[in-house]
Amino acid sequence: MWLIVSCGEVTLSEREYKIINLIGRGIKDLDKVASELGLDKSALMRDLAGLESRGLVKVTRKDVKYLEVTEEGRRYITLGLPEERVLKILLECSRAREGIEVSELPKLCRERGIEVSSEEVKIGIQYLVRAGVCSIERGIIKIASDEESVKRFLESCSRLRAALKLAEEQGLKSKVVEVFGEDLIATLKRRKLVREKVRTYFTLELTERCREYLNKGLLKVKPLVTRLTPELITSGKWREVEFKKIDFSIPVPVVHPGRKHPYMEFLDYVRELLISMGFEEMKGPHVELEFWNFDILFQAQDHPAREVHDTYFLKYPREGIVRDEELMKRVAAVHENGWVTGSRGWGYRWDPRRALRLVLRTQTTAVSMRTLYERGEGEYRCFALDRVFRPETLDPKHSMEFYQLEGIIVGRKISFKHLLGFFVEFCRKLGLGRPKFKPAYFPFTEPSVEGFIHHPKLGWIEVLPGGMFRPEVLLPLGIKNCRVAAWGIGIDRIAMTVLGIDDIRDLFSKDLTFLRRKPLPLIPSLLR
Amino acid sequence: MPVVDVSWRDLEKLLGKSLTGEELEDLLLRLKCEVESIEDDVVRYEATHDRPDLFSVEGLARAMKGLLELELGLRRFRLQERPIAIVEVENVHYRPYIACAIVRNLELSDEAIRQMMNLQEKLHITYCRGRRKASIGVYDLSTIRPPIRYTLVRPDDIKFTPLGHTQPMNGYEILKYTEQGREYGYIIANYDKYPLLIDSEGTVLSMPPIVNSEDTKVTEKTKDVFIDVTGTDLKTVLDMLNVMVCNIAERGKPEIIELVMVKYRDREILTPQLTPLRWNLEVRYVNENLGIELSREEVTKCLLKMRHDARELSSEVLEVEVAPYRLDVLHVIDLVEDVAMALGYDNIPPELPEQPYVSGREAPIEVFSRAVRNVMIGLGFQEVANYMMSNPDTLLRKMRLPPQPLVEVENPKSEKYTCLRNWLVPGLLEVVAYNKVAGYPIKVFEVGDVVIVDEAVDNRARTERHLACTIADPKATITDVLVVLRALMTTLGLEYRFREVEHPSFIPGRCAEVLVDDEVIGIVGEVHPEVLTNFDIPVPVEVMEIDLTKLMRKYSSVREVLT
Repeated sequence: MWLIVSCGEVTLSEREYKIINLIGRGIKDLDKVASELGLDKSALMRDLAGLESRGLVKVTRKDVKYLEVTEEGRRYITLGLPEERVLKILLECSRAREGIEVSELPKLCRERGIEVSSEEVKIGIQYLVRAGVCSIERGIIKIASDEESVKRFLESCSRLRAALKLAEEQGLKSKVVEVFGEDLIATLKRRKLVREKVRTYFTLELTERCREYLNKGLLKVKPLVTRLTPELITSGKWREVEFKKIDFSIPVPVVHPGRKHPYMEFLDYVRELLISMGFEEMKGPHVELEFWNFDILFQAQDHPAREVHDTYFLKYPREGIVRDEELMKRVAAVHENGWVTGSRGWGYRWDPRRALRLVLRTQTTAVSMRTLYERGEGEYRCFALDRVFRPETLDPKHSMEFYQLEGIIVGRKISFKHLLGFFVEFCRKLGLGRPKFKPAYFPFTEPSVEGFIHHPKLGWIEVLPGGMFRPEVLLPLGIKNCRVAAWGIGIDRIAMTVLGIDDIRDLFSKDLTFLRRKPLPLIPSLLR
Repeated sequence: MPVVDVSWRDLEKLLGKSLTGEELEDLLLRLKCEVESIEDDVVRYEATHDRPDLFSVEGLARAMKGLLELELGLRRFRLQERPIAIVEVENVHYRPYIACAIVRNLELSDEAIRQMMNLQEKLHITYCRGRRKASIGVYDLSTIRPPIRYTLVRPDDIKFTPLGHTQPMNGYEILKYTEQGREYGYIIANYDKYPLLIDSEGTVLSMPPIVNSEDTKVTEKTKDVFIDVTGTDLKTVLDMLNVMVCNIAERGKPEIIELVMVKYRDREILTPQLTPLRWNLEVRYVNENLGIELSREEVTKCLLKMRHDARELSSEVLEVEVAPYRLDVLHVIDLVEDVAMALGYDNIPPELPEQPYVSGREAPIEVFSRAVRNVMIGLGFQEVANYMMSNPDTLLRKMRLPPQPLVEVENPKSEKYTCLRNWLVPGLLEVVAYNKVAGYPIKVFEVGDVVIVDEAVDNRARTERHLACTIADPKATITDVLVVLRALMTTLGLEYRFREVEHPSFIPGRCAEVLVDDEVIGIVGEVHPEVLTNFDIPVPVEVMEIDLTKLMRKYSSVREVLT
C-alpha cells in the first residue's frame, strides 16, 4: 500500500475521488459511471485498474449471453414466418385442396396484398412440406393434412415468432430459454434468425477498507498543478500533486525555424555533389568584357547572341581592358582567318574595341575561359555555380537572372564519351534518371550535345547542353595538347523539378510564408 | 533558332520513301532538329543555326537520304560552266557585293515555291542579319533579259510595281507604302541613291535589300530561276547563294545550274562557286576526340551518310570533300561531329573520366559564406535570396542616398531591373514590406553578391560577397541587431568595435560602422523612418550589412596567427 501516506490519509486524483464517490452512492455499473463522468470506458478502465490495485475498489466481471435478432428474424416478427404466409394464401384459396401451381403463388400473393419474396416462397414451401402440412407434386402444391394439424402448425409458428419477439425486446438468453426452452432457441439459431453474443459486465463495489476511509474522511484529493516548478522538484512535493492533463488536440503556436532558402540549400547540395566528383569551384566577375564572354569563345562579333535582345550591354561603366595584347592578337587572327588552328575562321574584320565593351555576363562559360587562360594545360576539372543575365521580361517561364552550373574537364585523354559519362553520373546522383542525348549546336563546342531529362509533368526537357571546346577556342588560350569537355547546365530548371515549382519567379520568392512552408529540398538519392 | 514548316507528303516525295511519325522524329533529332509539332501534313521543327541547308525541305530530304542510306556521298549537281548571263556591277558603294546564279529545268509546285520563300526568309533573319549583311532575290528567268545591271539610282527615278502590289511606285513610296519598305527601309533610307537590279530592257528585278518586282515573280509555271544575293560582305553573299542554289536545284527534273559572270569594275567573278572544300581527316583524330574505336571504313561510311565524299589518302588519312552549302564546316573537328551524328549519339557509350588525383574543393568564399549562413540560421533567421538586378530608385532614392555610380545596363527590359545592386539592405527591406501579413518579428538574412563600380580593375566593377540581416518588429530596438553581430563575431573569434557615423538611410545617432583591425567591414543601424515610409513598412527595422570578402580575410589572418 505504497500510496497510503503516514498520517493514514489516502490521496487521490480528482477523477479517482469522483469515481469512488459515485460507486459509494450505489452506482455500480461501469457504463453509468463512465457516462456520469463524461469519460469513455477505456479511460475509466485505466483508473479502475489503479484503484483496484490499491485495494480501494472491487471490480466484478460477469459474462452474459445475449441473443441478437438478425435482419431476417426482424422481418419475420412483423410479417410472419414465410411458411405462415404461404399457408395463409393456400388457406384463403378455395382450390388449395385440389392444388395450385407453385408458379402461381407470387401472383396470388400480390392479389391478396401479402408481402412474400420469391426466396421466402421457397423457404415457406420447404417448411410446409417438411411438416407434412402440404404436399407438392409436379409443381402443384396442395394442403395435405386435416384442419387440426394445420392449426397446430400455425400455433408452433406463432410460438417461434413470440420467441423472436422476446429475444428482440429482452435479449438476455437465459430469459428466453426460461419461457420457450432450449430447443426453440436452437431452431431459431439454426434458421439464422438469431445470433448468440457474449457481453462482459463490470460491477463496481467499494472495498471494506475504502468504505472505512470514506467514512472517516481520510480520502483526500491531490492538488492539481499546471506547471512543474523548480520548487516542486527540489522539495519532492511533486509526489503529492496531480499534473493537469494536456489536451493534445489544441493547436499549438507556430514557430518559424531559422532555415536556409530552399533554392540556396539545393545549390549547396549541387556544390557538394560536384566536389565529390573531383571538381574545384571557380569564380569570375558578373560584369564581363565581351572579349571573355564572346570573342574568346569564337562567337563572331555579329553573332545574333551578341545583339541587344540577348545581351545586357552596360551604359556605365562602358569599356574594360585586356592586358594580354598577344592574346587579343591571337583571338583576332582566329576570328579573321583561323590563325594556326586549321580553321577557316569567320572571314571578317575583327574589331578590338568591340571586344572591350562591358556586358553582364550571359554565360558562366566566361568563367571557364578565364580559368583555362590562367591554368592552361593539365589534368583538372572545375565548376562554377553562379548567376548570369539575359534581357528577359520576368514571367513564370523567363527570368532576366538565373543560375548556371558551368563545368570543364581538362586532360590529354578527355573525349566526348567522358562528357556523356559525366552527364549520366550527374543525373544519377541527383536522382533525375538516365538522360537522353541528341546532337546540338553551340558556337564554341564541337561535337556539341543536348541532354534531356524526364520531367513528371513536362516530359523530356533539355537541361544538359555541352560539348568539346573547339580548337579555335583552346589554341589562343595556349591549350594544344589537351581536350576540354564543357557544359553549362540550366540548374534552375532542374531545381524547379526537384523543388516541385512551376513558376521560375518562385526560386527568388520574397514570400516568407512560401519559404517557410517549402519542405527541405533534400535529394532523395543522397538518402539511399 | 529558326523554326521550319515542311509538308510531310512533300518530304516523302523528295525522299521517295514513306516515314512513320517516329522515324521522322528520330531522323530530325539526329540532324540536331527538334520537332515542335506534327499536325496532319505539317511538320514543324526547330533547326540549328549552323545548318542553313536544313532551313527548307529540300536540304532536309537530302540529309535524310544519307542517314537512310538511300543516297550516299556528295550530291553533285549538273553544271553549265560556260556563263551565258552577265551581271554588270556599278559602284554600289554601301552594298558593294553581288553574286548570282541560274537554275534551270525546275518543277515548282505551290509547296516548292513556299519552301523557297521560307528558306529565303530564314536566311534573311539569321545569316543575313535582318537583310543588313546580305539579301536574296529569286526571279522567273523568262521575264528577264540579261545582261543585268546592279546599280544605284535616285529614288525619284525608280519606278516599278513591288511584289504583291498593283501600282508602280518610286523609291520613296516603296519605303513608305510597302510592308518590307517599312521594316527594312532604314538600311538604305539615309543614302541619296538606292540599289537597283535592272535588265537590259529596263525591267526592274528588285530594289535590294527591300523588295522584288511583281513583274519578275516566280509562279508555278516558272521553269528557270535567276537568283541574286547582294550585301556588304562577299563571303556571306557567296555562302547564301550556295545554300539557295543547292536547295532549289533539288527541285530539278533534272536540274541545270548555270554560272553567271559578275563583272565588277576591276575584276570578274563566276558565281555560284560550288567547288567542294577538301579536308584531310585522320581516323585517329576522330577516335581520340570521340573516345571510341572506329575503323577507317566505318569513318568513311559515316562521312558518306552525312553527304560528304571520303577518299583514302593513306591508311590513316581520309580526304573529305564537303558540299558548298555546309557552311558549318570550318575545321576538321566539324567532321568529327558529323561522324558522331551519323553513328548516332546513342552508339557512343558514356564513360566517366578517371577520378583526378586532386580532390574537389569549394571556392573559399563559398566555404566562408556557408559558415556564416549557419550562424545566422542558428540565430533563428530565415534566409532569403533576391535578384542582383535592381534599380536606382530602390537602391538610392528610397534609401535617401544621393545619386552615385551603379553598374547600369543600356537595354533594360523593365524599369524594375536596370542595374546591379551595390548593397543588400534595400532588397531585404522589400522582403519586409512584402510580408506585412506574415506576422512579426520578421528576421531575415541574405548572403549574396553585390557589384561596385571600380575603375581600378580591368572589368571596371568588382564583385563583393555580403551578408545583411534585418529584424522588423513593433518592439525592435537597435540592441536586437547588435546582439546578432556580437554572436556572429564571437562565433568567428573576432574582436570588433564601432565607430558612430551619419548615414542618410539610418536614424541619426543610431548608426555605426563595424571595424575589425581599424578596417571598416560593415555597418549597423536603425532604418530611418522616411526610408520605412518609402518602402511602406509600418514597424521599426534594425539592420546590419557586412562585407564577407573582407571579413574572411580578417578571419584567415587571425586564424593563421593562432595556428
